[in-house]
Amino acid sequence: MLDKLKAYLTPAESIDAGQAEDFRLTHPEGSYTVLDVRQPSEYEQSHIPGSKLIPLPNLSDRLDELDHHKPVVVY
Amino acid sequence: MLSGRGFTKVYNLSGGIKAWDGLTAEGPVELNLNLIQKDPSPLGITKSAYGMEQALGDFYRKVAHTTDNAELKDLLTKLASIEDKHKDYVFSLYTEVASGPEDRSAFEKTVNTEVLEGGYNAEEYMERNKKFLASPAGVLDLAMMLEAQALDLYLRFADVAEKAGAKEILFKISDEEKTHLTALGNLRAKY
Repeated sequence: MLDKLKAYLTPAESIDAGQAEDFRLTHPEGSYTVLDVRQPSEYEQSHIPGSKLIPLPNLSDRLDELDHHKPVVVY
Repeated sequence: MLSGRGFTKVYNLSGGIKAWDGLTAEGPVELNLNLIQKDPSPLGITKSAYGMEQALGDFYRKVAHTTDNAELKDLLTKLASIEDKHKDYVFSLYTEVASGPEDRSAFEKTVNTEVLEGGYNAEEYMERNKKFLASPAGVLDLAMMLEAQALDLYLRFADVAEKAGAKEILFKISDEEKTHLTALGNLRAKY
């Protein structure tokens, strides 16, 4: 219970664009997720190749589409 | 939100997409998925990928024939030969999933070579991007954009692929595309 509460209150680690690019280059595809939480119109205009689009308002209802065991890079 | 829902590792991209200085793709989630969905099996996927590599190689050779600029011609020929290597890789994936030995020329007769990597029609693409085709830097920018769209297409399809082995094939092809993009980026830095 305490662990869950602690995890809930722990913010995600921030990485800059260079670190994100390095992460992509050093991890094989299928071993991580790049998650785009913006609106579909923003995704259509420009997105990181291979991003999965789940707009923020829908995220809590669609969490089962993501693999909990894989690292997630969110933008 | 994700950290508190059981996700083991979550990274927030500082500054979001505006801070991202790598390549981007455009279009809706469904863009060009129909190109692969015609036959979403591992065999079908390798055929589609092979056809798109072939089409892009043909595209570069065609543009090379239209220019008198020796430097540009050399670059376009080099880009076409890189696509040939990709074809070799995709064919090797095909032979892994095919049930028996396959004659490559027979295989090539079964692939569609009308669509460029990323899902574009070659003629339309050439007409629309003429200005990029006049210089090595422009050609490389175009090549990188095409590869980024191709990477995006393969990964979007991997996300929805259901046939056994399909995701794995698409991830392997995507890793190859990432390596290709890095090589193109290094080449672009010289111009």
